[in-house]
Amino acid sequence: MRTAFSPLGFVVLTSGLALAASGALAEPPSSPPNAPTGVWLTTDYPAVTEQVGKSFTMDLSLENHGMPPERVQLSLEGVPQGWHYEFEGGGKPVKAAMVGPGDNRSLTLKMTPPKDAETKTYTLNLMGMAADNKLSVPISVTLAPPAPASLKLESKLPALRGSASSNFDYDLTIKNDSPSNVTVNLAARTPPGFDATFKEQYGSQELTSIPVKANESKDIKLSVKPPQDIPAGKYKVEVGTSTGKTQAQTALMLDITGQPKLALDGPSGMLSGSAVAGKEHSFTFTVNNTGGAPATDVKLSANAPSGWKIDFSPAKIEQIAPGGKAQAQMRITPASNAIAGDYSVNVDSNGKGASDNLKFRVTVETSTEWGLAGLGIIGIAVLVMAGAVTRYGRR
Amino acid sequence: MRRKGSALSGMSTIAWKEAADHFSSARFHFVMLLVLLTAFGSVYGAIGEIKNTIGQDPFLFLRLLTTAKQPVPSFVAFLGFLLPLVSIALAFDSINGEYSRRTMSRILAQPIYRDALLFGKFLGGMIVLALCLLTLWLLMTGLGILTLGLPPSGPEIARGLAFLVACLAYAGVWLALALLFSTIFRQAATSALAALALWLIFAIFWGMIVHALTVALAPIDPTNPMTLVSAVEMQSALARISPNTLFSETAQALLSPQTRALGLVFMEQMEGAIPGAPLPFSQSALLIWPQLSGMVAAMLLIFTGAYVTFQRQEVRA
Repeated sequence: MRTAFSPLGFVVLTSGLALAASGALAEPPSSPPNAPTGVWLTTDYPAVTEQVGKSFTMDLSLENHGMPPERVQLSLEGVPQGWHYEFEGGGKPVKAAMVGPGDNRSLTLKMTPPKDAETKTYTLNLMGMAADNKLSVPISVTLAPPAPASLKLESKLPALRGSASSNFDYDLTIKNDSPSNVTVNLAARTPPGFDATFKEQYGSQELTSIPVKANESKDIKLSVKPPQDIPAGKYKVEVGTSTGKTQAQTALMLDITGQPKLALDGPSGMLSGSAVAGKEHSFTFTVNNTGGAPATDVKLSANAPSGWKIDFSPAKIEQIAPGGKAQAQMRITPASNAIAGDYSVNVDSNGKGASDNLKFRVTVETSTEWGLAGLGIIGIAVLVMAGAVTRYGRR
Repeated sequence: MRRKGSALSGMSTIAWKEAADHFSSARFHFVMLLVLLTAFGSVYGAIGEIKNTIGQDPFLFLRLLTTAKQPVPSFVAFLGFLLPLVSIALAFDSINGEYSRRTMSRILAQPIYRDALLFGKFLGGMIVLALCLLTLWLLMTGLGILTLGLPPSGPEIARGLAFLVACLAYAGVWLALALLFSTIFRQAATSALAALALWLIFAIFWGMIVHALTVALAPIDPTNPMTLVSAVEMQSALARISPNTLFSETAQALLSPQTRALGLVFMEQMEGAIPGAPLPFSQSALLIWPQLSGMVAAMLLIFTGAYVTFQRQEVRA
């Protein structure tokens, strides 16, 4: 009975296989079960708000799902008067795009409203014309006034302390909070006599203005030099920055600690005088305080050749106010055996924290007593001769 | 018998006549030619030396007189050496020459006193010396202006004139000395030789004599530094007996304004001194005043000696 298989039975088996195979072909495994097919033109955000007076762009996408490749002509409807627009794809201006099945094309719509466009909501219609299909995306653009620009000026260390001879360096930060690049003008208002210069933070170039990019900040340095003879105290420096539209200010403080500074001056400004050997002479010296704080305990002394007598009255000046002066008499007696000629005497003035010295040139003159003695000798010789003439005078 | 009237009447006649005689005498011409030649030689050398070595000096004209170019000595050194010779040439036979020419009695037969004769002779010599020195000084200054292209400054002129006075006093001492010898010695040759011998002693040998005398009078004890000081002081005192020393010190102080002292200076006295600073003219004058007055007094006293000798002489020989 084994060889008696009926041919009908084999046919049924193979047809059953064929059926099973045809069922597998009809449903491919990659495709979602209910995916829509067609060609679409889409944008991520069809309603946007943009700043008036500026160009803006919208990202578009042309997609094809399960359709044969199709050419789509792009256009925009409802464009207000004076607006310009342009489609870009692959970095080039385009008028139409093509997309194959299961693919998409990125496109950019660039729109340029006029500078004086009205700030309101505009409704436009983005159109894509295919051979037998018409794609349409309504978009709305709201133009809004630009955000207010603002400028900030900050100082890291707004109050510094130092002496009148030091430099006050302030680090300033200028922050541009506006969406545009600006050039910032710099100015400082100082008390009279102060010298203020703006510099790059790490540089010596002096600045009057500095460009700052949108939403960035720049660090600059303000160097303030007070006048040498300024009295001690607190001084205010106002720094202003402006771009023409916006401005910012900040105030800086200088705390100047005064320091005495002595300047010694000879009699009526001269650095020389004359004295007779062995005789006392008096010269008036002036001590000036050119500093910003009182000079106290100013001692006067002089370094003279040996055998000379020098003293000062007063030998010590208790206090000299800033900008003030005091006088002292130097009494000098050259040694009695001093040789005529010029001698150098060092005069020192020493206060607390300040001193000055000068070289005073003393021209020593010798006494004329010996000159008289010489005349006496000649006189005696004349007398001897006169005596001889009277004694021996004859015919 | 006492004379009547002033001893000086007729003196100016004698003086001018004497000066005129000198100016025309061949002896004087020779001596002055010698002085002029040496002066030109030394100043010419000095000009070349100044142009080569000195850039700037506030006393350039004084440098003209003091700068020496080897082997020629400076103008000042020449004057110190030759001025006595000029004076001796002028006066060594002024009195004994009159005797030997037998003109003394003739002169004194005129209404002129003996005093006036001697005064006039001396004054005549001084006039000649003054004129010659002035001419010489002007010549040198003119030569300086011509070659240096600068006018002399005020202090330079003052110092130059003071130097002229010092030269005159120095020459006067030797004139009085020669006059004294011409009254003492009857032979002109003797008086000339005596004067020249004295000149040689003071000009050349005096330094050696002073050294020998110092060693004898103030010996130096090595353990006592004060003996050194006294020896130096003794030496300078002895050296100043010579009019040549007095003259060279005067010239140094007047023509080198930075000279502060003549003689011994202690270290402590120079402490604080500014080196090279010139003294004002008045201080330089004060510095040389003892030397100058010493020379003037010596001139007067030597002349007085000549006067006394002459007055006591027998003139009718």
